[in-house]
Amino acid sequence: MLAATLAPFVLAVFAPFVRRRVGDSAGWALAVLPAALFIYFAQFLGPVASGETFIFSTEWVPALGIALSFYVDGLSLLFALLITFIGTFIVLYAGAYLKGHADLGRFFMFVLMFMGSMLGLVLADNVVTLFVFWELTSITSFLLIGFNHDKARSRRAALQALVVTGGGGLALLAGLLLMAQVGGSMELSTLLADGDVLREHPWYLAILVLVLAGAFTKSAQVPFHFWLPNAMEAPTPVSAYLHSATMVKAGVYLLARMNPGLGGTDIWQIILMSFGGATLLTGAILALRNTDLKLMLAQTTVASLGLLVFLIGIGEPLAIQAAMAYLFAHSMFKGALFMVAGSIDHGTGTRDVRRLSGLGRVMPFTAAAAGLAALSMSGLPPFFGFIAKEWVYKGTLDGSLPLLLTAVAITGNALMFAVAFLVGFKPFFGKPGDTPHKPHEGSVGLWIGALTLAALSLIFGLFSGLAETFFIGPAAVAVAGVPMVVDLYLWGGFKAPVVASIITVALGAFFFWQGARLSAFLARVVDALWGPDKGYDQFMDGLIGLARAVTNLFQTGHLRRYMLFTFLTLAAVLVLPQVMLGNGFVVKAPPIDLLVWAIGLLAFVGALAIPFTRSRLAAIMLMGVLGLSVAFVFLLFGAPDLAFTQLMVETLSVVILALVLARLPVFGTDWRGYPRFVRDALIAGAIGIAMATLLVSITSVPLDLTLSEFFSARSYTEAYGRNIVNVILVDFRALDTLGEIAVVAVAGVAVLCLLAFRHIDHDSEDKPEASS
Amino acid sequence: MDIVSDIAVIRPELFVAIAGMVMLMFGAFRGESSTKFIYWLGVGVLVVAGVLVLAGPTGTSLAFNAQFVVDDFAVFVKVLLLIGAALALILAMPFNLREGIDQFEFPILIIFAVLGMMMMVSANDLMSLYLGIELQSLSLYVVAAIRRDTLRSSEAGLKYFVLGALSSGILLYGMSLVYGFAGTTNFEGLATLFAADSEASIGVVVGLVFIAAGLAFKVSAVPFHMWTPDVYEGAPTPVTAFFAVAPKIAAMALFVRVMLEPFGALVLEWQQVIWFISLASMLLGSFAAIVQTNIKRLMAYSSIGHMGFVLVGLAAGSEEGVTGILVYLTIYLFMNIGTFACILAMRRGGRMVEDIDSLAGLSKTNPMLAGALALFMFSMAGIPPLGGFFAKLFVFRAAINAELYVLAVVGLLTSVVGAFYYLRIIKVMYFDEAAEPFDKGLGREITVLVTVTVIVTTFFFIGLAPVLSGAEAAAAVLFAV
Repeated sequence: MLAATLAPFVLAVFAPFVRRRVGDSAGWALAVLPAALFIYFAQFLGPVASGETFIFSTEWVPALGIALSFYVDGLSLLFALLITFIGTFIVLYAGAYLKGHADLGRFFMFVLMFMGSMLGLVLADNVVTLFVFWELTSITSFLLIGFNHDKARSRRAALQALVVTGGGGLALLAGLLLMAQVGGSMELSTLLADGDVLREHPWYLAILVLVLAGAFTKSAQVPFHFWLPNAMEAPTPVSAYLHSATMVKAGVYLLARMNPGLGGTDIWQIILMSFGGATLLTGAILALRNTDLKLMLAQTTVASLGLLVFLIGIGEPLAIQAAMAYLFAHSMFKGALFMVAGSIDHGTGTRDVRRLSGLGRVMPFTAAAAGLAALSMSGLPPFFGFIAKEWVYKGTLDGSLPLLLTAVAITGNALMFAVAFLVGFKPFFGKPGDTPHKPHEGSVGLWIGALTLAALSLIFGLFSGLAETFFIGPAAVAVAGVPMVVDLYLWGGFKAPVVASIITVALGAFFFWQGARLSAFLARVVDALWGPDKGYDQFMDGLIGLARAVTNLFQTGHLRRYMLFTFLTLAAVLVLPQVMLGNGFVVKAPPIDLLVWAIGLLAFVGALAIPFTRSRLAAIMLMGVLGLSVAFVFLLFGAPDLAFTQLMVETLSVVILALVLARLPVFGTDWRGYPRFVRDALIAGAIGIAMATLLVSITSVPLDLTLSEFFSARSYTEAYGRNIVNVILVDFRALDTLGEIAVVAVAGVAVLCLLAFRHIDHDSEDKPEASS
Repeated sequence: MDIVSDIAVIRPELFVAIAGMVMLMFGAFRGESSTKFIYWLGVGVLVVAGVLVLAGPTGTSLAFNAQFVVDDFAVFVKVLLLIGAALALILAMPFNLREGIDQFEFPILIIFAVLGMMMMVSANDLMSLYLGIELQSLSLYVVAAIRRDTLRSSEAGLKYFVLGALSSGILLYGMSLVYGFAGTTNFEGLATLFAADSEASIGVVVGLVFIAAGLAFKVSAVPFHMWTPDVYEGAPTPVTAFFAVAPKIAAMALFVRVMLEPFGALVLEWQQVIWFISLASMLLGSFAAIVQTNIKRLMAYSSIGHMGFVLVGLAAGSEEGVTGILVYLTIYLFMNIGTFACILAMRRGGRMVEDIDSLAGLSKTNPMLAGALALFMFSMAGIPPLGGFFAKLFVFRAAINAELYVLAVVGLLTSVVGAFYYLRIIKVMYFDEAAEPFDKGLGREITVLVTVTVIVTTFFFIGLAPVLSGAEAAAAVLFAV
């Protein structure tokens, strides 16, 4: 199973070489793999139909419970078969469609990679494996949409699809990890077996919302539906494969898969039914609004995906059967119609439905495929699409609000009926239209896939038992999580679903008849409205604006701005804890010592004057005053040596600073305006005051005097010295002092050397050779 | 105090220190002609140091009055940063020699910076911590400004120095506050003290926050990140590559150890601080990166964002979180070296180009380079199954288990935004109109490095198990009571 999933990736690597070797018929060679995979998966049909399931597991990161595990049941098998079967024809089709294209090899590479990712997605049992393949499908879709990268629209669509689906994927990851956390397992088969644990957990809502965000973005549900029509910028084989038959169904797959675990609650039903219903109507209406064949099909795909979500939301056994039947039918007729649209484009040079007519005579095979597929899509007997639609109505009539649900379904289906006829019949009948080049039928690769899929729609309609036993039955059982009886048939007597079908056809015929007028009307209305596609652009612009604002605020390139923010943070760090935790310092009665007060006043005035002076030299002097008062404090409290050091350092700093600054261009008066002045003074004040209060509270705690006692006890007895500081320097820490002296000496030597080099440099200005 | 056993513990550091001095003497006497030889010597020294680190005593050993510790955590991180430094040095050599940065001091400064980092990683006392940080920082200030004759490089060095000195001051202030209240600077001593009395006084809290702020500067977390884009852009590219890797790893390891070992009992006091800087870093790193046009500045914001993600693991304050951090740092190392190797290959007409737009159409003109860079970008965006995905996965799992939901959600959100700007590079390379091609011939060193890092990033999931078990053992040390 692992090999089957990875095989497309391996072949993908070699695809460009195959193309170079075999030339344009590489499609035929490469199609062997999906065909072989189809046969491989077909072997599971019998056992799965009789109720068996299979798990294949390979260790990956055992410590975290991550395994490459795959699960084969009715649902995953149905998808795997669709992926490989349609994939086979898509590879053939792409070979013909992109014949002679310079990057055909790369195209095959991406398509095969996608195939592998999609297989992995539907078969994965481990949540992390599922996510890995989920994101891989987004990436390969990104690469395929952007395949025609010389067009700006393509590039935008590619990025948009990736941002939407990739973002949703991350939400899905979060949801899956929460699920794993709650359920205590990374394996879906284990997690979903006991759905009540998930449903009754307080995190249920969070899990649900996250998982649905993943599914809805991928399956283009309102309000994320906008990326799918834009993705039609991709070459038609991609649209047929990814954006109708497989990838966009991944969200539906996920919902179906999660149904036993997360489904069945009121909130699940409400969300799925309302979003699905809204998507169905939105997609169907937008389909009529468009005149480009591919866009019409894309919008009906959105509508169909909405219908599927809607059906899964209803959750009754019949609705689930309907969902699986419709999914099966849709993959066949929509895949076929997309390929038809591509063939028409290839044969005539346009996809504008208004300009196409009378192609039936020159493109007989394409016309046959289109007609069959369109009949299935419009839901007419004896096609499988009819059965699917009958079951849809059975499902909606079975739900909690039968009339409303059925009305929604009928409206959507009627609109799709009209589109089916516009796409499948209108281009082939009537007088030959005005097309950019003379219509001609394409090579066999261009129509064989469409014709096969369309024919299958008919075959499965006539022999519905086949579909029921092998595909729909096992899949529905897997989705529901409980056994059920599935019995598909074409004609079940004149009952309510048939009535609904008749209304659908009548309404659809009306829409078709008024198609052009409706389309023009909708175009006027819809285009005037704000839509999520515009919203996406606004969001992106907003994001960039925000980014620019953030950068302009912080990253001015000026050191002083950086210092400002650093000090601002510092002030916050100093002030906030004291405000929040309380400072707890006690104001003691101040000592009545005039000298102390005088020094304090000196320091205070010095500090206060600094922000008010405009001259840099004066500011330096005032700093010196501050240092001087500190030295006095040391002196007063019995540390004359410290006071002396402080005095020296202060004097030196003032002298050096003044000397250096005098030579720099920044010397002179302060250039800051009044507001900045106040701001800086405030920050400085906040830091100073907060630091002071902190220090006061610190000194109110008794100091740890162990060291002082140690030295005062030993300095005379052990080192024979009365000056403790001296003793510490030359005796207790003699090695340190030696080191310090050495460092100072080395630094002195270095300075001397530098001074000496300066002379050499001056000389070298005259004769450059001497410098080496 | 048994000096012999102490020396046995610090063998790798001692070797690096002596080797550095020998190299300095060698260079001083042989002059600039020996530069290339000294580069290779430097790489050799780092390799030998790595061997010595691995051959060191197992378990936890203390040295010099418990100032210095060697444990599984230290060993893991040291190996990581030695690899990073060695790769960066190899990357720097051809560039520097070509661009006329031929001072033989360059590799020696790197060696001394690495020595400082090894000290940081093994620090078991606030004093040795500061010693390590300063040795590292002072070397790095000089390295940032190594190209004295260009304005950009010297400006970068100056900014880095001024802000770095400021942050060192903050750090030192915090340490003295802590010492003033706790009466000890030793990590074990502090840990015992706080474990006995978890009611921290305001002085300790402020001191702790100051220390955190100083360390946040070193890992360039918001709001102390301002130097990063300017220094990344201004410094010569190989220096930036080095800055992006080794010092970040060392500082982050130090950050983790300081928060969890001495201040482990005060987790409630610092968790909010880490929570905030992690959140702010992720947000700023991803949002501000969108508008960058210079790829080195973009990488600066990218590293700010990555550090935010790593800090999520620290905010979790759990063993799982530290494991995540170590895995993250491992993959971060290879992704970054690989990306910078690609950036170094961006040359046109013999001159470096740094505009993202100049990558346009690279997939046509140089498909291999484009493929490699695309891979790194996908990995940084956290797209599975590449290494970057696992890095994020581990950290976020830890955050969820520690019930830090806001961080996890913001992390996911910023991942999306991050993905957006990483993918923009891919878009430019693959979809945009081809620009003038880059110069042919990447050079042997870059080709080898890109190949190696591509392989590591792509197949990280295969080698995940041993890295993970190493990281778990390393993380366990910090939580052993």
